[in-house]
Amino acid sequence: MSDDKNEKKIHGIVAEYTSVDTLLAACRRVRDAGYTKTDAYTPFAVHGIDKALGIKPTVLPWLALAGGLTGTCTALTMQIWMNGLNYPYIISGKPFVLSLPAFIPVAFELTILFASFCTFFGMWALNGLPRFSNPIFTDPRFDRVTDDRFFLYIDSKDKSFDAKGVEKLLGETGTEYINSVVDDDSPTTIPKFLIVGLCVLIGLSIIPALIVAKMRVTTSSQPRFHIFPDMDFSPARDAQQTTTLFADNRAMRPDVPGTVARGQMDADLNFLTGIDMDKFAQVDSDRAEQLVRTYLTPLAAEGEEPTAGAAASNEKSVMETTPWLEQNPLEISDAVVRQGQQQFNIYCSVCHGMDGRGNGLVNQRAQKIMAATWVPPSSLHQDVLYADQYPDGKLFNTISNGIRKMPGYAGQIKAKDRWAIVTYVRALQKSQNASMDLVPASEKSKVEKQKNQVDKALAEAAEAERKKEEERAAKAAAQK
Amino acid sequence: MSKHAPAIKPADDPAFKLPASLSALSLPLCIGGVLVLIVGWLIATYGVDQPKFGMSAYFAAFMYCLTLVLGSLFFVMIQHLVRAGWSAVLRRIAELVMIMIVPMAVLFLPIVVTLWTSDAALYRWDSPTFAQDNHLDPEMWANKTMWLSQDWFTVRACIYFAIWIGLAVYYFRGSVEQDETGERAATDRMQFWSGPAVMLYCGSMTFAMFDWVMSLAPMWFSTMFGVYLFAGSILSAHCILAVGAYLLQQAGAMRDEVTVEHYHDLGKLIFGFVTFWTYISFSQYLLIWYANIPEETEWLYHRQLGTWGTLSLALVFLHWMLPFLGTMSMYVRRRPRWIFFWAFYVLVMHYIDIYWMVMPEAHAGVPGAHGSAGGVLGVIASVLCVLGMVALMVGLILRVASQTRIVAVRDPRLAESIAFENI
Amino acid sequence: MSLAIPNGLDNTVERPGERAPLVLGDTTYHDITETVCRVAETKPSKGWVIGFLIAFALLQWLGICIAYLFYTGVGVWGNRSPIFWGWPIVNFVFWVGIGHAGTLISAILFLFRQEWRTSINRAAEAMTIFAVACAGTFPGIHVGRAWLAFWLAPYPSLNLWMWPQFRSPLLWDVFAVSTYGTVSLLFWYMGMVPDLATFRDRSKNKYRRMAYGILSLGWTGSSRHWIRYEKAYALLAAFAAPLVLSVHTIVSFDFAVSQVPGWHTTIFPPYFVAGAIFSGFAMVLTLMVPARSMLGLEKLITIRHLDNMCKIILATGSIVGLAYGTEFFIAWYGQVPDEQYAFINRAFGPYWWAYWTMITCNVISPQLFWVKKFRTTPWIIVLITIFVNIGMWFERFVIVVTSLSRDYLPSAWAYFSPTWVDWSMLIGSFGLFFTLFLLFCKLMPVINMAETKSTLAKQYHMAHNEPTTPTEH
Repeated sequence: MSDDKNEKKIHGIVAEYTSVDTLLAACRRVRDAGYTKTDAYTPFAVHGIDKALGIKPTVLPWLALAGGLTGTCTALTMQIWMNGLNYPYIISGKPFVLSLPAFIPVAFELTILFASFCTFFGMWALNGLPRFSNPIFTDPRFDRVTDDRFFLYIDSKDKSFDAKGVEKLLGETGTEYINSVVDDDSPTTIPKFLIVGLCVLIGLSIIPALIVAKMRVTTSSQPRFHIFPDMDFSPARDAQQTTTLFADNRAMRPDVPGTVARGQMDADLNFLTGIDMDKFAQVDSDRAEQLVRTYLTPLAAEGEEPTAGAAASNEKSVMETTPWLEQNPLEISDAVVRQGQQQFNIYCSVCHGMDGRGNGLVNQRAQKIMAATWVPPSSLHQDVLYADQYPDGKLFNTISNGIRKMPGYAGQIKAKDRWAIVTYVRALQKSQNASMDLVPASEKSKVEKQKNQVDKALAEAAEAERKKEEERAAKAAAQK
Repeated sequence: MSKHAPAIKPADDPAFKLPASLSALSLPLCIGGVLVLIVGWLIATYGVDQPKFGMSAYFAAFMYCLTLVLGSLFFVMIQHLVRAGWSAVLRRIAELVMIMIVPMAVLFLPIVVTLWTSDAALYRWDSPTFAQDNHLDPEMWANKTMWLSQDWFTVRACIYFAIWIGLAVYYFRGSVEQDETGERAATDRMQFWSGPAVMLYCGSMTFAMFDWVMSLAPMWFSTMFGVYLFAGSILSAHCILAVGAYLLQQAGAMRDEVTVEHYHDLGKLIFGFVTFWTYISFSQYLLIWYANIPEETEWLYHRQLGTWGTLSLALVFLHWMLPFLGTMSMYVRRRPRWIFFWAFYVLVMHYIDIYWMVMPEAHAGVPGAHGSAGGVLGVIASVLCVLGMVALMVGLILRVASQTRIVAVRDPRLAESIAFENI
Repeated sequence: MSLAIPNGLDNTVERPGERAPLVLGDTTYHDITETVCRVAETKPSKGWVIGFLIAFALLQWLGICIAYLFYTGVGVWGNRSPIFWGWPIVNFVFWVGIGHAGTLISAILFLFRQEWRTSINRAAEAMTIFAVACAGTFPGIHVGRAWLAFWLAPYPSLNLWMWPQFRSPLLWDVFAVSTYGTVSLLFWYMGMVPDLATFRDRSKNKYRRMAYGILSLGWTGSSRHWIRYEKAYALLAAFAAPLVLSVHTIVSFDFAVSQVPGWHTTIFPPYFVAGAIFSGFAMVLTLMVPARSMLGLEKLITIRHLDNMCKIILATGSIVGLAYGTEFFIAWYGQVPDEQYAFINRAFGPYWWAYWTMITCNVISPQLFWVKKFRTTPWIIVLITIFVNIGMWFERFVIVVTSLSRDYLPSAWAYFSPTWVDWSMLIGSFGLFFTLFLLFCKLMPVINMAETKSTLAKQYHMAHNEPTTPTEH
């Protein structure tokens, strides 16, 4: 021990040993001599040294227990509150709050995690570590404590500490090296490059945070900055665009063959076309198949049938060979006739007139302005349009697909209503050729009375007209 | 370092002999045990108005003793397998228990006899009308009865007992002979065979538990069931060691040899295996509970009705939580009296575990009997059965022990075991 | 200090009543320090550099693949309906399994007082952490939008205001694996502190001394510190032991709580754990056997260590084999048609090759370890353990892929084919693993010096107190 060292404060005295047994013997001796502020430094944990030095057991297990219990409670509370109370959400039909078996795994993990944290950090805290500046490190031979040497240390704070006495005591314990532990006079300031480096690091790490903060508080007309695309920009295509995604390069995908539209499952082709398809298939299988195919393509909306191509053509032969339905598929009833009347009045009467004589408002107007291209609508009261010559199916087809200037009404009028119109037209035709025989006996007198009234009123009107005419003629004659 | 090893007493020291006070108990225990067992069985059969109750109560008692015996057998083999030093002083106790596999084989006979002589006295599948009564698919049932048939069941039982008796006798004889000869080669030999022995044991244990306990509910299955019963047996084997060592020391034997260090270790192992048992039973429960498939939940469903529901919950708290907390502390583990208490307690809980596995099946298929435990009389009968059988076993163990020693006196690792210290 | 245990002594033979030495040769405390520190203090060997470059290149490749995945989407994998889990989950389970040996050696063998663990636990623990890092990568990138993986954490989100679903086993996995990773890291680091202090005290270089000084937290080796340290170590071991079991148990729950045939089996928890230990030990041996001779650690990692580990592989391999058998038996015994089909399909369906690879590598190849010669010959050990690794990878493949490819809905059945990205990621994950492991070998103490010295101290003690010394043959 040199003199300059003696001037410094002595923290304690340390002795070096080369084996566990001598160290333990020395420890016992020091303990028996009454020293309490002692410590041994060893390269590995030496068992039995706690007794040799009189070290008390640690409280660490209690810390761990507390940590573990905290973990269990935290986990159970968290799970029950989050999944059972705050955001109840059923999964596998398990209860909200009492899904205890499902909550146990996480509870177990957090128990272990918290207990481990308490043990780990508790141990370092109890040991007073990290502590980078320690007077014991000043001893020149102390570096070997982590290799193969054992040290015994007596602190100067011990109440019976006396440097000479301690050295003497230690000297008798088989040591070859005794030294005083003095203050650590190595520079305690942190090296400048570390501080600068740390500052630079901190400065750099703040930049992203600053950018984020700035973006959050300022407005911008630019789209949000996307680090990850996140499917925010979906490459949606218009129907007519091309794409490389499919082999046929079409963006709009055709329906899968065999797709059936809503309501089409129970579609009746006879009903929709007015043609007896079975017969049609025998007469002209090609066109029948074409027609079937046309109808099997999906319909955009109910009642919007496509033009029955061939059937709609004007070729006489075609129209004649087609086996039209002779019978109206609807069951005729008062309601159907009324429905037909309503639809007729809405759609047909504008041309054909309320009475079906072909003198509707449009026709009148066309006549008035003498429209050059106007083809006057047919009167429905012609022999060629009566049921015996013009079957119901053909009439239905004409309403659906049009004829000459008349457009098809399949798009506007539902199939059922078109059949109702057919019904009404038949009624209308009948009404113009009715004889008294058709009137039921019970109604006969009533009708006759009405007829008489009408006849009388007509006669009176004719009389009045005649008189007016005569007066006018007389007046004219008088003027002459 | 550690204290120096105390000198080992000579082999003939009275400390290694069964105290006379205990060996005198042997005969009374045997006779009393048989009587109690018979009385319990009679009450269970004729006092309780359920046809299967008698055999079920007997079977629960049998399974209880069997798991203890098999647990001890495993303990002995695993000590050899890992060349354990600490346990040498305790190993003979486990050896004495494991050799009881021979009387257990005899006690299994009533089960085989009833299987052959009457329909469904214990196993529901042993009834020609089972498939019909439960509306099972005949083809599927035909497959199932390929395994669950009287003759094949009997053959398998013989195989299991042959394996266990072979193993138990081999290890028992090896150890007892070493008492006299003291040759180290015996230990070497036993260690050498311990690997295959453990494998044989694991396979036979798994399938025996499927056969005997799982098939009580013929349509139910759980792959883990063998492990579940194994967990219970190895746990209770450690408890037997603690109880046995404590009682022997109380009676004056091996006072210097078994130290607080051994109790400390047994305490740790009991703690560990209580946790293991919980782990296994929880996993089994969770998987069945979560998937909720009808063919699996049936078994647990029966155990959630009425009395059984209460018992199931009790198992959670009494078989796991209480002993778990009780044996957690080092203070407790280093107090032999406490370890004795907890070991005894866990042994009682192990019976309740077995009871919970076996007895609900006594009522299965009986209309209106779900959730009942056969009334007070049923409980008394079950308890009498198990007390009788345990008494018989203890009597026999004492009988064998009085003819040999209670410590493997010339085991080469005995010195290490006696000097053993926990760190 | 003159206990000479000659080199070449067969310490796998242990006469009953005498414990064979775990440290060989005329080794002193200082020799242990020298042997271990030399690894980190000398310049890296050519072999190390080449190995590192290869591993690092593979790691880069993994990074590129992940970037490609992020950019393009999970369609780059072979995962297709109905096999949505595919390779990423196979790799995840594989790596988590590998990660089990480390903590098992450190914690469970510690609790069972198996002192032979001391010279292998450090490297095994490091391996655990690196394997968990590899494992964690896969579910992370498998969630689809990996940058939103933090939604798995239960944090109060202002935008969503909702919570993760704690009844889902996949979330249990998040907690289990992250807890496991954290606790293993704590355990590993704590165990290293005294050894890092040794590195610090031996450092000649100022910066090196400073770096190890900070890492070793000012450790002095004080007895009071040692006592708390040992207590903490024992406590952490006690926590880590059930934790190890829980992790692979919970991974098995991912499968077993579902109703998919072949997945829903109650034996899964213990069987997965056994499988994990099995594969973990195999990986430890695959790495340690070459490392031990390359780094000159034969006196510390002796043949006996290898022998013991082989026995554990044999035991766990047999457990896994028993579990396979039990599964098959119960599938038949249970008479549930879906289960029966699932298992027959495994063995004889389109993936028969995977199944029989698994059986050969996992059940048959470890049985060779019954022969002592195989347990004590290093190159045979490496060969068998590589087979075990392959087998365990295939086990996960069989479980994940065969069951998913044929579930309850036959119209959805499909055959899984991996893409080049799948392959690259599997290989790349090995790059990550080996990069970290090689860095560890160079920078950290590969063997727990303090504990090995304490084992040596016991050896001295025994030698001086007992009449027969273990020197005789």
